[in-house]
Amino acid sequence: MNKQKRYLGTNIPLKIYGLSEKSVTITFGTEIDNDLLDLITDFNQLLLQNPFPGLITTVPAYTTLTVFYNPLNVILSDLPGEVCLEKVSAHLNKIAEINRKESEVMDDHLVIPVCYGGDFGHDLLTVARHNNLCESEVIDMHTAGYYTVFMIGFVPGFAYMGGMDNRLSTPRKEVPAAKIPAGSVGIAGNQTGIYPLETPGGWQIIGRTPLEMFDVNRAQASLLKGGDRVSFKAIAQDEFNTYMGV
Amino acid sequence: MKISIIKPGLLSTVQDMGRYRYLSQAVPVSGAMDELAHRIANKAVGNNDNDATIEFAYANASFKAETPILISYSGDGAFLVYDDELMPAEKPLFFAAGSVIRLINNPVGVHTYLAVAGGWDVPDVMESKSTYLTAGFGGFKGRKLQKADVLVSRTILNEVSDKILNQLIERSLTYPNWRISRECLLPEKRQKIRVVLANEICWFDATSILSFLTSNYIIDLRSNRMGYHLAGKPLVKKVKKELLSTAVTPGTIQVTGSGDLVMLMADCQTTGGYPRVAHVAAVDLPLCAQLKPGDMIQFSEISRDEAEELYLEREHDLSLITMAISLKYI
Repeated sequence: MNKQKRYLGTNIPLKIYGLSEKSVTITFGTEIDNDLLDLITDFNQLLLQNPFPGLITTVPAYTTLTVFYNPLNVILSDLPGEVCLEKVSAHLNKIAEINRKESEVMDDHLVIPVCYGGDFGHDLLTVARHNNLCESEVIDMHTAGYYTVFMIGFVPGFAYMGGMDNRLSTPRKEVPAAKIPAGSVGIAGNQTGIYPLETPGGWQIIGRTPLEMFDVNRAQASLLKGGDRVSFKAIAQDEFNTYMGV
Repeated sequence: MKISIIKPGLLSTVQDMGRYRYLSQAVPVSGAMDELAHRIANKAVGNNDNDATIEFAYANASFKAETPILISYSGDGAFLVYDDELMPAEKPLFFAAGSVIRLINNPVGVHTYLAVAGGWDVPDVMESKSTYLTAGFGGFKGRKLQKADVLVSRTILNEVSDKILNQLIERSLTYPNWRISRECLLPEKRQKIRVVLANEICWFDATSILSFLTSNYIIDLRSNRMGYHLAGKPLVKKVKKELLSTAVTPGTIQVTGSGDLVMLMADCQTTGGYPRVAHVAAVDLPLCAQLKPGDMIQFSEISRDEAEELYLEREHDLSLITMAISLKYI
């Protein structure tokens, strides 16, 4: 894919709407798609490397990138425009035009160890039965996949990942579980994700990772970020315990 | 300066102006629900706006000064009472060590902010002192305040706080004759909430939009720091589209699958998949922070540019207040 062409061809001027007095959202497309995700990830990195006065942070999602700013700094800046929306839009459109041949960024690829089934994955059988598979086939197919983090949302560090084998697709639980332990790996529809904190949740839980998905004391608290590539590796209970230092 | 909590009240947490830089990791903004009252409580003791205050929900709380303290309060959930006397809001208050201060109910609203000169001293977590209860971090040990908790202020006072303190001690006063007027910054009709229509507005049929802007909505019992469910006429979608999750922010008004409205507040998720009908003008979000179950509101539409202008005006007024107070003392 020629990313640069997509920027200049179909996305100029960018489609931008105001979300609040302190934020605008850029819409890059309408459907979940890996190429679109690359586009958003690249644009996001480029914007963070070339911020405008008052930029606070950005939130990438499936088809959008939302940009948060301090309106006082924006309005006092010399960006063209009368109001913040115009001024921020002017900067974002300038970013979209940057020739980015030399700013290719490599995505991180992480391997996440998971202990599947048993007490850690109460719904492994549900997923297997729903798809006419046996449990070990579910594990094989889940670990064979190469996933993309589309978005971090729901609770701190929760990664929505696409790219799962369609044959594992399983609907959410009709009644969400009141408590899902931290580290639980789940399936909802055609997505897979990991619960970073103990929260209620409706995803079908097939296993658990010993990794700390969210840790406020870490430089990057959330282990995963939008655009990351992820795969899973099956580990046994004793290996899980070793990770946990048990 | 040091206080100990005698009665913690329903939900008392340490908050500042929020945690903005980690939204992409799905860490919510948090911070004071009523940011205006939080900032005014801080200004009244000479603090910076972002210094940590204690947010009390409703009253039924009390605390004891373990050392002499310079505090102030603002908000609509409670009045401070000392020695059976009502203490005025939005001005500095000096109490000797051993004083017991109670919060009694203010029927107008929910949240009240207690500032101390220097700000409450809790560690920064992800660049903020705000409490985020769901993940149990920030604020005072990541939790709501409990009986016997001891909170201290930062020891270094800025020049204004220092001068306020000395003035009150020298003249043996509890408080000076000036106060900040929060009412002057707020509209008279507090049940009228100004909104800017949102990106998915055209997903709803015309009758629904009309009723959104003309009918009454009542704050439901399912309301907390994350958001409020609003009881009222459900909105009808005229398109079959679904929204892919995208960023939302405090003030966003979502429409659920059944057509009900949810107004997002300080602890809201960072992304949401419900279509949005409008967002509350930033200047009226403090009014929303004081709404309690059973309260009735109406929405009135303003343009995005008007909302921005009102926001910039409000910020200008707030900076004038800070300047006026420091000119009094320096």
